[in-house]
Amino acid sequence: MAGAFAYFLPAAKTAWDTTGAIVRVTPSPTDLLTASPSASPSATPAAAITGAFTILLLGSDDDSKFYSDHVLTQSMILVRVVPSTKQVTMLSIPRDMYVHLSTGGFGKIDGAYSYGGPGAAIATVEQDFGVHVDDYIWVGLLGLIRLIDAIGGIDVVTSNPVLDDYYPADVYGNWPYGYERIAVLAGPQHLDGLHAMQYVRSRHGDLQSDLGRSQRQQQVLIAIRQKSKQLAPEDLPPMSAAIGGELKTSIGISKVAQMLPLAASFDNPDAIRQIILASPYTHGGAPGGSLYPNWDAILPLVHQYFP
Amino acid sequence: MMISRFILAVGLAVVVIFGGTSTYMYLGSKQSKIAAPPQKPTAATPRAQATTLPGALYLTQSGAIYRLSAGRFMQMTPEAGWGEPSINPDGNSLLAVKFGSYWSDVYVLSLFGSPLRQVTSNQSRTGMSNPSLNHWSFYPRMSADEQVWMTYDGLKCDSCYDVSPAVYSMPLRGTIRQARAWTDGGYYSGGDQQPIPVLGGVIYTKYDYGSKYDANAENKLAGMMWWTNRPGAYGKELTSPGEDCRTPSLSPAGNELAMICTYGKQISYLTIASWNGSALGPRKTILTNQLVAQPTWAPDGSGIAYLAPAVPDGPFQLWWLPKAAYTAPPPSPPPTPTPGGPHNGPLPTPPPPPPIPPVKPIQLTTNNGFDATSPMAWLG
Repeated sequence: MAGAFAYFLPAAKTAWDTTGAIVRVTPSPTDLLTASPSASPSATPAAAITGAFTILLLGSDDDSKFYSDHVLTQSMILVRVVPSTKQVTMLSIPRDMYVHLSTGGFGKIDGAYSYGGPGAAIATVEQDFGVHVDDYIWVGLLGLIRLIDAIGGIDVVTSNPVLDDYYPADVYGNWPYGYERIAVLAGPQHLDGLHAMQYVRSRHGDLQSDLGRSQRQQQVLIAIRQKSKQLAPEDLPPMSAAIGGELKTSIGISKVAQMLPLAASFDNPDAIRQIILASPYTHGGAPGGSLYPNWDAILPLVHQYFP
Repeated sequence: MMISRFILAVGLAVVVIFGGTSTYMYLGSKQSKIAAPPQKPTAATPRAQATTLPGALYLTQSGAIYRLSAGRFMQMTPEAGWGEPSINPDGNSLLAVKFGSYWSDVYVLSLFGSPLRQVTSNQSRTGMSNPSLNHWSFYPRMSADEQVWMTYDGLKCDSCYDVSPAVYSMPLRGTIRQARAWTDGGYYSGGDQQPIPVLGGVIYTKYDYGSKYDANAENKLAGMMWWTNRPGAYGKELTSPGEDCRTPSLSPAGNELAMICTYGKQISYLTIASWNGSALGPRKTILTNQLVAQPTWAPDGSGIAYLAPAVPDGPFQLWWLPKAAYTAPPPSPPPTPTPGGPHNGPLPTPPPPPPIPPVKPIQLTTNNGFDATSPMAWLG
């Protein structure tokens, strides 16, 4: 007992620190004008794991350019899991989408988190897309790198060479405003955390910019899920030690435990639907280089897959 | 009484310490091995001795080039960014790439990994103030006329982020100023990669948006085999964007091309097609149940080596596919004449030939982690 307690204590502490985070939805004038967003995730009773649920995945640049927890969410992916049919739908929300923010006013959707944390990000997505978000997971730059390294890397067929002369040198460098050159070559390969991060984060060499990298992010997410099926409970302590404070989630420990076997039971990659909101769902011309959403096209799509 | 209680307490403490430590160590030993780092090929067990490949195969792991010969690995270079070896036509040296943080350069190496000559100098002389002034060279190959073929990002547009390397050739003893661009590399596409000089031209992988070439294709980047026979020509599409084929490897006889095709998914099929000098024949899909990378023909035509994970989502190992796995079996012999001379009745039906067991790939390594983006080179 003592040995088991000592072994799992670090994991339990990290789990306690990073899971079940209380999400407070920042009230805003928007609430008075639009349909009220759903109750905060933490206030929602955890749905039975047999029922469908929706998670908002958030990824941020959290280097020293930003104040703690006032970061932009460069990656926002809505994931709908339907255990009964073993269907997963991933919808990438363009970070440059110009929307009504839950904290008030309009702006790029990636700013919602910086104004009000995960609660504001969730409320913005809920009010604009008309969906209910059950939980969120936020991961920082180092968190993704460490997570992938902790599971021993992932196998990905990189769709094209990702070459970027102006990739931010903000993860390990001394000067977070600097740039570096990266080259992630094309084809099947085993990616470590750093190169997986480069693959999903680079956008300068992609004509589709953020939309192109959204496709790459979904590839890597699927690869992480695939690799995670091989994890044993005994892997949790070293993993939690590696990830540290670079991951936050509203999902409670008990629900995480319920989700692990569920994730392992999803073995058909063709049952994972991937949606990118490129044209005609969005188009350029919005302020500050952002994208106007075409809600007439987006909302039917969202309501079809995120009822 | 006091003594016995003391002994009991000490005994319990020993049990707790021993039991706790044992439990801790036991749980630690139950961790999955998924994060275990790969072994160096020279140290990995079992060694690749079960099947001995002909000649010497050069492959890359962790920035070092290794040579597999007579069933044993030898490390040819230090772990210092080396990769992408190719055998020169004279069979006496290699071309390889040394990757730096911001640039990469082509070198001529001896067959045992000693640098003999630096072919390109892609590091910017102006320092790191503008990283884009550095250049990449990838996938070097030498043709019989001592031209070095490579992917090179020589053309860059001003005030844009495009890095789309093109296929270049340059004299082995020349400078980059003498290099000729054979292709234009596209526009924000990933460029033209992995050139293979062939008689009368060059085959390469073009990465571009599929909808440019096929109205029904998705508007996303895909790989295509292309061929061109002169610098600046438009070139010719050999595979469709929907097939998403990459990494060409020409057979020793020069009449077949091995490649991988992904069909835009997270799969990688080993595919072979005949090659007549300007077009590919029908595709023959050879392997569909592995994530195949860098297929490489044996110089004696006895099979194809490739890289693929041995366990799901694991690092890439070396595999060998004997020729019998992808060549049609010889036609069955005609029925032998019936002894005893002609007769009027129907000929007896010959017994069906015994079924030929399918030839399966052979896994040659177990605990390595070869670089699946680096082509392998095979010396006969």
